[in-house]
Amino acid sequence: MRTAAPVAVAFLSGVILVISFFFNEEKTVVGGLSQELLNWVIIVGGFTLLLGMVSIIRVNWAAVQRRKENWIYRLFTLIAIFAAAIPSLLPPSWSPLFGRAEGSIYDWLFVYLQAPMMATMFATLAFYIASAAYRAFRARSADATLLLITATLVMLWRVPMGEAFLNLFPGDVPNIINDYIMNGANLAVQRGIIIGAALGAASMSLRIILGIERTYMGKG
Amino acid sequence: MMGFWDRMEKIDRRWIYLLVGLAVIVPFLIPMKFPVSVSPEARSFYDAVEALPDSCTVMLVFDYYPSTMAETEPMAIVGARHLFSKDCKIITLTNIPYGAPSMAESVTRMVAAEYGKEYGTDYVNLGYKYGYTAVLKGMGMSIEDIFPTDNSGTPLSEIPMMDSIVNYEQISFVFEVADNATADYWISIVNAGYGVPMGVGCTAVMAPKYYAFVGAGQIVGLLGGMKGAAEYEILIEQEGTAFRGMDIQSLVHFLIIAFVVIGNIGYFAGRRHRRKV
Repeated sequence: MRTAAPVAVAFLSGVILVISFFFNEEKTVVGGLSQELLNWVIIVGGFTLLLGMVSIIRVNWAAVQRRKENWIYRLFTLIAIFAAAIPSLLPPSWSPLFGRAEGSIYDWLFVYLQAPMMATMFATLAFYIASAAYRAFRARSADATLLLITATLVMLWRVPMGEAFLNLFPGDVPNIINDYIMNGANLAVQRGIIIGAALGAASMSLRIILGIERTYMGKG
Repeated sequence: MMGFWDRMEKIDRRWIYLLVGLAVIVPFLIPMKFPVSVSPEARSFYDAVEALPDSCTVMLVFDYYPSTMAETEPMAIVGARHLFSKDCKIITLTNIPYGAPSMAESVTRMVAAEYGKEYGTDYVNLGYKYGYTAVLKGMGMSIEDIFPTDNSGTPLSEIPMMDSIVNYEQISFVFEVADNATADYWISIVNAGYGVPMGVGCTAVMAPKYYAFVGAGQIVGLLGGMKGAAEYEILIEQEGTAFRGMDIQSLVHFLIIAFVVIGNIGYFAGRRHRRKV
């Protein structure tokens, strides 16, 4: 029963959603059923987010209580969670600081703390990329040389100063890069990858719908 | 001479960081303003939006995290500007819980103020809902089923702009700004499934993948990275942060290419030296 029920649910959900694709959603029973299932996906998903939050709080609180290594960072995690969640959940009718609108505590935390911190973390990548390019990007083989030349051309083509530099050479080099690298070799390879991934996803979906693939239940 | 290349190969990385830092700061102080050429992909994107009927309804999707704001937010801003300049009605939403509803709120509010647009009659922010495949598929039948309220909790039935909007049939275009694979789902579910025309603005590292969708005609155009946003700024004749960022990106790209060249010269010179020894 513990295996049969989830397999039956997966089978029915999958079949209804696949069939609904071929019918008018608004005028058929199967359309209404599929809409109901999609609403259930959103509801169940909401609970998984709640579960995730409860789990984070439990794990970090236990570590703080036992003064485990780096417990102070875990405490900051907990403070951050409650500082952002509680004011955003309280009704804005109580105070303009509550809710998620402009001027609220949640908005302030996002605009002045979260967004700059995330942007800063991402921006530091430029420094590491420059350092890695200097130390690791070597023309050690024919393949690596081809990659290096292509990357250099695309990097030049993607910025105005580089484009001005490429225009110093005879022929319309920027357009040649666009036509032959991006819309030629790149497009062909990307299309192959996309089609391959789509076929893989379709076969995996079929395996789940038919109950062959059961790893989502924690079973092989 | 060999000693020089050996030293160059083992250079302290802090010198590299310093040069990158200077390449970022100097163009701020001394703008170079190199001309930005417009790619065919950005041009076709702009033409498709320009060809939309005035006062139509467009979905402007904020599927990006705050970490990539430098690249993606200028796209959302130019998109909102272009759409409001055509008196289009904008529905914003996101599949990213991490601050994206707030970014949608702040961008549309800022641009709406420039064009004298009102919330509820000219634009609506639906916010975030979990499960992008279910959300995108479900909106095909009823947007209100999936988003019963807007981002601030107002029921859609109380928002005048949403009176005549039921599902994708009333949506003329999807302007997707993304830094992740949610754009794929918009293409495969909303474009392929419901025939809604769409354009994608994405980060530069994602852009190569989406050339395949432009080639197949599934998206009308593509804005790749900050350059794509700068191209759109040129097209709507409003230079913004992306255009200004082009000087910085130009210098940093040149610097990285110089590092690659110097690193390779050092590598080969050092290899020859080691063989001789």
